[in-house]
Amino acid sequence: MKALEVRSISKMFPGNLANDNISFSVEKGEIFAIVGENGAGKSTLMNIIYGIYTPSGGDLLVNEKEVKIRSVEDAIKLRMGMVHQEFMLIPRFTVTQNIVIGDEPHKGIFFDYGRAVREVRELSERVSLVVDATAVAGDLPVGVQQRIEILKVLRRGAEILIFDEPTAVLTPEETVDLFVTMRKLQAEGKTILFISHKLKEVMEIADRIAVLRRGKLQGIVNKKDTNEEELARMMVGRNVVLEIPKVDVEVGAVAFACHDLHVRNKRGYETVKGMSFDVRGGEIVGIAGVQGNGQDELVNAMIGFSHPVSGSMELNGKNMRLVTTAQLRKEGMSYITEDRARRGLVMPYTVRENAVMGQHLGRPFSKGIRMDYDKLAEFAEGKVREYDIRPGDVYDTAGSLSGGNQQKLILARELSLPHNFLIASQPTRGLDVGATEFVYHKLLEEKKAGKAILLISLELSEILGLSDRILVMFEGHIVGETTPDKTTEEALGLLMLGVGIDKKVQS
Amino acid sequence: MSESNFTTKFLKIFGIDNRGHNRRDPLNVWVPLVSIVLALIVSMIVIAASGRNPFRAYALLFGDSGLIPGGAAWRREFAELLIKSAMYIATGLSVALAFKGGLFNIGAEGQFWVGAIVATFFGYWAPVAHTFGAMYAALGSFGWIAQLLHGAICIIMGMLAGGAWAAVAGFLYVKRGVNIVIGTIMLNWIAWFLITSWLVTFNGPMTPASQTFTFGSFYVADTAKLLRIMMPTRLNTSILLVLLAAYATWFLLYKTTIGYEIRAIGYTANIGMETPRAQGINISRRIMQLMTISGALAGLGGCFFILGMQYQFPGTAIMGYGWTGIGVALIGQSEPLGVVLAGLFIGALRTGATSMQVANIPKTFSNIIEGLAVGFIALQVAVRYYLVKIIQHRRARRAPPAGQEAAV
Repeated sequence: MKALEVRSISKMFPGNLANDNISFSVEKGEIFAIVGENGAGKSTLMNIIYGIYTPSGGDLLVNEKEVKIRSVEDAIKLRMGMVHQEFMLIPRFTVTQNIVIGDEPHKGIFFDYGRAVREVRELSERVSLVVDATAVAGDLPVGVQQRIEILKVLRRGAEILIFDEPTAVLTPEETVDLFVTMRKLQAEGKTILFISHKLKEVMEIADRIAVLRRGKLQGIVNKKDTNEEELARMMVGRNVVLEIPKVDVEVGAVAFACHDLHVRNKRGYETVKGMSFDVRGGEIVGIAGVQGNGQDELVNAMIGFSHPVSGSMELNGKNMRLVTTAQLRKEGMSYITEDRARRGLVMPYTVRENAVMGQHLGRPFSKGIRMDYDKLAEFAEGKVREYDIRPGDVYDTAGSLSGGNQQKLILARELSLPHNFLIASQPTRGLDVGATEFVYHKLLEEKKAGKAILLISLELSEILGLSDRILVMFEGHIVGETTPDKTTEEALGLLMLGVGIDKKVQS
Repeated sequence: MSESNFTTKFLKIFGIDNRGHNRRDPLNVWVPLVSIVLALIVSMIVIAASGRNPFRAYALLFGDSGLIPGGAAWRREFAELLIKSAMYIATGLSVALAFKGGLFNIGAEGQFWVGAIVATFFGYWAPVAHTFGAMYAALGSFGWIAQLLHGAICIIMGMLAGGAWAAVAGFLYVKRGVNIVIGTIMLNWIAWFLITSWLVTFNGPMTPASQTFTFGSFYVADTAKLLRIMMPTRLNTSILLVLLAAYATWFLLYKTTIGYEIRAIGYTANIGMETPRAQGINISRRIMQLMTISGALAGLGGCFFILGMQYQFPGTAIMGYGWTGIGVALIGQSEPLGVVLAGLFIGALRTGATSMQVANIPKTFSNIIEGLAVGFIALQVAVRYYLVKIIQHRRARRAPPAGQEAAV
């Protein structure tokens, strides 16, 4: 039986055909993946199915009956449920409160919390999704928070579950857990739509895979009959070499060094507990680790957002422990962030305004306090060409660009600042194959130019492919140092999880 | 940048160009206009519902608002319109500028009165007043120089005071994390009661020792009063000064590095301002500067109130200029030019409102129109939504887009 069928769905946005005549059907109990680059139209399609957008044309069928889905309420009534990429949880509420919100069990006009807890426990047992029903949601790890979202959807009786890039926020082992959950749900007869651009994961979990490119359906393939390379070709329309070429550069002087660095997080807990390392010109030092082991705090200290409680931090030989971001920038620090919306760009600002932020003071972009916006546009136009930022209008807002183009804009800005030390924090997070390749290429160019690069990443393939030296971070410590040719993903993975910490990796 | 050549050239004469602006969305102009029209229509219904003739009411309101030339009283009404508008534009600019930096400075009210009381002080304080009085006498037919200088001193002091008052809230925000709304609103009442319950109350330090129950401050010296520019009306230079201030605000926002940083801070204010911070922008310093300039603009309005209208701090003063400024900023979409137009609109409503009493409508009725206009602005997401729908509908009727044909 077909749980869901999409017939000739199209969606027009002003000046953009986001979905162009898309048709496919999903069998009941199937895990159906939809892959495509950022901006290929995956999210638009899901939002149409889930009633957030109305299609410009085409029909939807649920359980082989034609339906009109005009709102999310309609979709929920049809037993659909979406697990969003950004969780919609209230951090201060307990797990139970979060799950029952909007449909609370009640005794007269009073909320029956006891019954709610029982219901949640029953449900979690029945689908074997383990959660502590009375824990406060905000205190739980991301993977568990996602489980809460799934339970919320299941409690509303969802039969068709849409997962919108669910692994983007997860650590590798949480991803494994999620896949186990998805298989369980499948075994219960639920239908799952899985949106992703991570081919490895799609190949692992999906039964069939639909590939979107620029709003058009490129094809639907059985997992058995395909491989990652073919999918990548379908996604980007050409052969993508995900192999990272080796570049050998003579290592230069120490650019950044820290010794016994201790940093506290916002709540006052020490999460970096005595790290010592250095980064030299012409080398890429990779920091591998599971998210939440102190990477964020380390970066915050390195960019001057928070001051280390103790230890030393030097940039080009100058003490930088208690300085501002402006001073670090002046000394030659550049920073590529994974959080483009919060930390990387001013989204309502145009490309030209974003392109110069940080170097807007002084010539050529300003004289005294007067800003020369013509110079901004001129500069940005050059960068747009050099970095192939699309669509190439420097008057477009940064928010209107796709994730990959936003990251190119950040690269364009950060690499054009005078710098000799580059912090790349998860530089390819959320990017598609093409943009990822571009970022790798640029990082290697930087290395060739003799810059010192610190790469912090959760993707082991990235760490292994790019780094000259690898540091493994676990609970605020460096638990191992190695080089890519002396280790494997498995060995690194064990270290990241704190397995066998006493035995240092042979080097 | 293919705007009409004439407009571009015309504005260039005044040093205005669009280089610092983003590409314009015509809806930014249409949303406030539609909101005003909607407010006027709803107000008509309210008048009609109360059994009065809305057309007669509007004829009186706009007929005497000073907007429409002609009639015996027009020159006077026009002057009143501009005098009132100057104050609303000043407070409107104050609120709008802070908005641009992501700060909800609802302290324009307090900054206005602090500016007013300080301008009053420098207007009557003997050492200053006597100096300029003597200068005026000595200069003879060049006496206006003394007037300009004394006025300038009062205004500069008033603006500095308004700025300092706002800077207190800015300091508390930057150093202590006190919410800017809370900080500024508290300072409003502190300013208001310091002035009205102490400084200018009966026998207060700034009130003449009096035999009768007069209260209100000393009157400022003649040299401190703003020059009149359209005899015999009391129209004074305040409107010119406020236009200059609007130009300066625009220049600050779109021509300077400070404005560039302020807007970046404002755009990211609700998500922690991390982007500008990561680019090395000194956020605390900019917020202090922004609050100070914002307060100075509100203080300028207070100077107009004293030096152009009252010539003393009257015991009968009532609050409202700063509050109105919030509405002006909202209707003006926080753009200096929009604020000038919105200020003129509110000024016109307030000028013509008195005449509506002839039609048996209280003069405070104009507040309903203002309130509704601001309300519709607040609903601008909805207004925008329907405007887009209308535009799309009209376009679709003219020529169906290629994509839709393909989809069918």
